[in-house]
Amino acid sequence: MTVSHTNPLRVGLRQERVIAPQCLVIFGASGDLTHRKLIPALFELFRQRRLPSEFAILGCARRPWSDEEFRRRMAEALADEIEQHQSAWAQFEGCLFYEPVDLEQPADVVRLGTRLEVIDRQRATRGNRTFYLSVSPAFYGSGCRSLAAAGLLKDPTRSRVVIEKPFGRDYGSAQQLNRVVQAAGQENQVFRIDHYLGKETVQNILVLRFANTIFEPIWNRNFIANVQITAAETVGVEERAGYYEDSGALRDMVQNHLTQMLALTTMEAPGRFDPEAIRNEKAKVLQAARLANEEEPWKCCVRAQYGRGGSAVNPVVGYREEPGVNPQSTTETYVAMKLFIDNWRWQGVPFYLRTGKRLPKRTSEVVLTFREAPVHLFDAAGGSPTANQLILRIQPDEGAEFLFEVKAPGSGMRSRPVDMQFSYDESFGEPSDEGYVRLLADAMLGDPTLFTRGDEVEAAWRLYTPLLELIEDNPALLPIHTYEAGTWGPGAADNLLADDGLMWRRP
Amino acid sequence: MAPQLTLQAPLELPPQDVPSYLDSLWSKELAEAGGGAVTFTLVVWEPSWLEQQLIRIGRLDGPISGLLSDEVLEAARAAVGACGLPPFTAPSAPELTWALGSLPGHHSTEDLRGQFVDRAISAHQPRRLITLAPTLAADAPLETLVAAYCPLPEEQHGSRGEACGDVLVLRGGMGAVGKGLAMLQPLIPDDLPCWVWWNGSLDESPELLEGLATPPRRLVVDSSIGTPRRCLDLLVERIETGQSVNDLNWLRLRSWRESLAMVFDPPSRQGALSRVVQLDIDVEGNHPVKGLLLAAWIADRLGWHFQSSYLIPTGNPEGDGVGAEFQRTDGDSVQLRMMPVPVGAPKAHPGALVGLRLICAPEGQPPLCVILCSESGGCMRLESGGVATMQLVEELVPLPNESEEMEMARLLGGGHDTTNPLLAAAAPLAAKLLPQ
Repeated sequence: MTVSHTNPLRVGLRQERVIAPQCLVIFGASGDLTHRKLIPALFELFRQRRLPSEFAILGCARRPWSDEEFRRRMAEALADEIEQHQSAWAQFEGCLFYEPVDLEQPADVVRLGTRLEVIDRQRATRGNRTFYLSVSPAFYGSGCRSLAAAGLLKDPTRSRVVIEKPFGRDYGSAQQLNRVVQAAGQENQVFRIDHYLGKETVQNILVLRFANTIFEPIWNRNFIANVQITAAETVGVEERAGYYEDSGALRDMVQNHLTQMLALTTMEAPGRFDPEAIRNEKAKVLQAARLANEEEPWKCCVRAQYGRGGSAVNPVVGYREEPGVNPQSTTETYVAMKLFIDNWRWQGVPFYLRTGKRLPKRTSEVVLTFREAPVHLFDAAGGSPTANQLILRIQPDEGAEFLFEVKAPGSGMRSRPVDMQFSYDESFGEPSDEGYVRLLADAMLGDPTLFTRGDEVEAAWRLYTPLLELIEDNPALLPIHTYEAGTWGPGAADNLLADDGLMWRRP
Repeated sequence: MAPQLTLQAPLELPPQDVPSYLDSLWSKELAEAGGGAVTFTLVVWEPSWLEQQLIRIGRLDGPISGLLSDEVLEAARAAVGACGLPPFTAPSAPELTWALGSLPGHHSTEDLRGQFVDRAISAHQPRRLITLAPTLAADAPLETLVAAYCPLPEEQHGSRGEACGDVLVLRGGMGAVGKGLAMLQPLIPDDLPCWVWWNGSLDESPELLEGLATPPRRLVVDSSIGTPRRCLDLLVERIETGQSVNDLNWLRLRSWRESLAMVFDPPSRQGALSRVVQLDIDVEGNHPVKGLLLAAWIADRLGWHFQSSYLIPTGNPEGDGVGAEFQRTDGDSVQLRMMPVPVGAPKAHPGALVGLRLICAPEGQPPLCVILCSESGGCMRLESGGVATMQLVEELVPLPNESEEMEMARLLGGGHDTTNPLLAAAAPLAAKLLPQ
């Protein structure tokens, strides 16, 4: 959300849900995520008075920092923010503590337990703890095991674990990790983050569908012809080459973010607004989803890499020329695919998913295209009438848009498409919480609605298993196409839809 | 204590024996609990005069619970007419309790105050819950009841044993309870946050309130119960000390503040906020504090400067209205008119809001009139007066449906050791708005 207007009457009205006294323990506290995202989000919550006075943040990492060192480093990282809110920071930094901990060392974890008891006394945090694993994915399992071994996850009402993405790198590893995590604690203690679920507009998919009566009756195979889900980025791989080379667009974006958008768009209505009811429906619909052609997955999927592009003034290097990228890399930076969902609501409706880097525009959206009118009574200004479309804009310019036909002014009865717009900026003005603010608050509140459950994660990995196996075992069948940086992907992706007589929507 | 299991029936002890009994309880019988839950202490001043009077005159069955339950409210509403009070008298208005006091009756019942704790509160597992329960019999001696509790086994997930607490009830005549305060002070652990919930009129027992609610204890009051001047002055005085003050009357304004903020969320409307020319508020009956807090909040948020306030005589039994003038940041003036309106079915607390009208005159645009109406009634008075010629935005404000125990539980679940800055800004201004 870009609008900077503020409604003076809105200030202080976001304190409706109260976070209980607790200690948030951040593992990997010396890493980037802590000072770039987590501490700023927590400081924001503090300034909004959404953190209780009985609150503590215990940073943990291998580095032998003291409380003061941790506070100083966080203050350096947030210098600009602190400049504007000095007295708030003076209070907030009193909540910051640090304990050198190597999660692989049992003695360290036992010492951590002792320190937490001291903090409970000092800060009256009532023994409530949220453990945030901001560490390498390789340590998710062992981290949970260590915490459980030290008895720190024993009480499911007072302790929980937040796990960053990625959760596994395929179906088998996700299952394995789930087994370890679920042995350490109960499923309701585990909060698997998917950052897209922290976005207001992604959450709005649920509200739009289930708080209005006009959409749900037409939200099915009888009225919807196809659905396109797009997440486009203009940036390249940036400084993440090391991670990205190993993951690619399929693992980095599709398995989690796009699949979550798919699940929210297609799930059945939950019986009540309850985390488990919602996650049950998401898991069910993902279990019913499949690649359009599981036997020959190369026929329903396109992988590509960006090549050189840009302009003479502002040239852009290709993916293989990016620092840290293998010059012979076959990692995809773009992927497009076609899915079906085999249930009563969606049987036969194609779902087209695409994501890519170095595309012309940064945008994420869900586009539902409705079936055409059964009889064309009117001439259309554009040759043939445009099918109605409902576009849910996830980012930027968050909102929704509905395209429909009206009579073009003038003599005769020709139709032309127009749109009805809803914009978050125009309706609310106020910027919504940054994703980490929302997700951290929900984790500390113990509300798992916006976190993915173990079976959801597994269902998402299982959905893409034929592709992952193909890439592993027979990559020649799923070749890497090249597209010019700054374009909408390879021609092969256009063909994927052209075979069905369709085109990608140009956002 | 609904979700919790007391390990023993409440034990009546001589007051002087309570401290040593509690010491031995935690050092011997409950030693495994490691000193008890590391949570907080909650001290509740719970006179429940209304409930006690209704039971005494036979309009309500016992036992005395200390809760403002639906049954108590229903009996109180039914008693308003019998007491000859005007129909706009709120059930929890002290006037009703005084009037009930003059009616004959000698029914008595079991007194379970301090033992009936709402589930929402007990779920937070207070380390020590102290209830001061004055009785109608002013000369009754002090009785002290003590019980320990732990979570029920199925709720004791961690089996760490430390989530235990104790309950202490001081019951007796006003004088006896006042004397019990000296015994009470050392029983409030210094190392845990302490909330003092003054669950009664702010007019009564100022010395007791002073003695109980010493900073840094967090004070919870209800500024709708008590004379308006006393309520507002107490809020201001306490806020100025830096103490954490929570006002349930202020918290009940939440839906009004949210509804008004929603109207001005679209950036296209926000400009009108700097061009407000008139603010009208209708309140139930003759208790203006809630309305004044709302007006003060709006004025503070919009940067208006207080100029003057005055009474608006009505000649009606509801009492007089309050008028005030503010100066906007651009120097133009804003007029406030807050009027009491008669209602046949008042809400539980005195001075509930009936409606709000905000008229803005944005430059080069037609005037904008925002009307918020309480869900429970109309606001025809605010809809008159030429608003039909203006751009009209009219919204219904949902009634709060949470009990005070729920509000309390929300505070206890994640409170602050400072006063909410919005209340801290609004209360002094509301005090100025109330004409002397």
